[in-house]
Amino acid sequence: MRKTAAKSVQLVLITSVLASCAQPQSQQGGEAKQRVFMRADSTAAYTEVTDNYSQERSGLGMGNALLWYMAFRHLGGGLGYANNNLHPQSVAGTNAAKAAAFQAQRGGFGRTAVSSPKSSYGA
Amino acid sequence: MQIKNLRIDPAWETRLESIGYGYHSTGGVPYWIDDYYYEISNQEADLIYNATNELWQMCLNAVEYLINKQEYKHFHIPSFMTPHIERSWEQDDPSIYGRFDFAYDADHGQLKMLEFNADTPTSLFEAAIVQWYWKKHYFPELTDQFNGIHEQLIESWAALKPYLKGSILHFSCAKETLEDLTNVEYLRDTALQAGIQTKLIYIDDIGWAGNGFVDLEGTPIRSIFKLYPWEWLSREDFGVHIVADPNRAQWIEPSWKMLLANKAILPVLWELFPNHPYLLASYYNRPTHLMHFVKKPILSREGANITMYYDGQEIYHTEGEYGDEGHIYQELATLYRAQTGFSIIGSWVIGQESCGISFRESDMPITTDKSRFIPHIIRH
Repeated sequence: MRKTAAKSVQLVLITSVLASCAQPQSQQGGEAKQRVFMRADSTAAYTEVTDNYSQERSGLGMGNALLWYMAFRHLGGGLGYANNNLHPQSVAGTNAAKAAAFQAQRGGFGRTAVSSPKSSYGA
Repeated sequence: MQIKNLRIDPAWETRLESIGYGYHSTGGVPYWIDDYYYEISNQEADLIYNATNELWQMCLNAVEYLINKQEYKHFHIPSFMTPHIERSWEQDDPSIYGRFDFAYDADHGQLKMLEFNADTPTSLFEAAIVQWYWKKHYFPELTDQFNGIHEQLIESWAALKPYLKGSILHFSCAKETLEDLTNVEYLRDTALQAGIQTKLIYIDDIGWAGNGFVDLEGTPIRSIFKLYPWEWLSREDFGVHIVADPNRAQWIEPSWKMLLANKAILPVLWELFPNHPYLLASYYNRPTHLMHFVKKPILSREGANITMYYDGQEIYHTEGEYGDEGHIYQELATLYRAQTGFSIIGSWVIGQESCGISFRESDMPITTDKSRFIPHIIRH
């Protein structure tokens, strides 16, 4: 019977996603001047994405805004890696697998959630 | 079962955030209750445990019954999905979890199933982790809680691992919802601890390559856990590919859960198990012999579009965007009422076994997305 248990709970992922919520406010000032460059493959060129997310988002630090940007960046153009927030030159480089992934159709799921934004789509 | 008060920890928000719980409040109003809790007896925990296990078996019997009879008309499931549902049932495609919602009548010691959140139950992270850490903070080590969810998840993933297709189990949810992301990442965490290789992909990033679903790196998706309702998946543009997928990707929860997550299952259960002590009378049509009842859309979430009738007169109604597919009528349950509000019990079945509970509390007798989460302990 699995009614109660003496737990030794260890979590790997959750705290890495959310621990930065507790970052002190004092970090904000210096971070506003940072610039961010990204690429989705080590053989692709970096392009700047600094303007693609708000550094002042929720009043949190740069690291946190970047985290949220990466977690929730929007898909644009139905092209997977090639979302509007990352320049196409920075997507695949010479990586044939990623270039192939670039060709898949995207955006065929998720429409209902976009049309009815909620805090959760569970029950 | 009773409410007990605590002297609040002034650093409760920071304490919760340090374990990764970022949605404890909504617009400054706490969703998580830290300074009061439910104390339940061992007998009450046993009652919930036994009811959950029995209802789970009854639900499986109901699915078998529906599939044998191919009786889906009340469920409003797209017809192209029914072969997938039947195949997933015949192949024993595994379910990892579900949450029964119970009304508890303390005067008569009766539990009644309000509904079964069989497809996309949430508040798992709060139930498994946050309330456990809450107990550790406020109570001595020997204090118990009806909560074996974390261990049960890891054991269930480990048992399921040999039956997964492919070498990677993808996990998916919608973007821009911290609650769903937290629940999915928590589930992925427990799968990792069971030795399963995992990847996260948002639901709208899933690709269709013409010969199967792929992730953002073009890796074929052969097994995928999704926290996204089946009724939405099946009606969106890629819905037809689920059935046509040459890889026959394994979806968790499986598509046969569409039958249990739909409130049209409630009249089926009442028909198969009439007057069962854990069930409320439920019908497809407005009952003439009941004066107190609730009208619920067959597909709805978080208490939306519920109408409550007392003496045949409407007394409560919640707003929402559901109801186009039809409704069921359910006998009005007696909810547990404390000085702080009305409460229901969420009881988790994971890997075929009852293993933990949570409480949700509302100011009115309908539980919604605004309802508060209340932790609990078992009194010894």
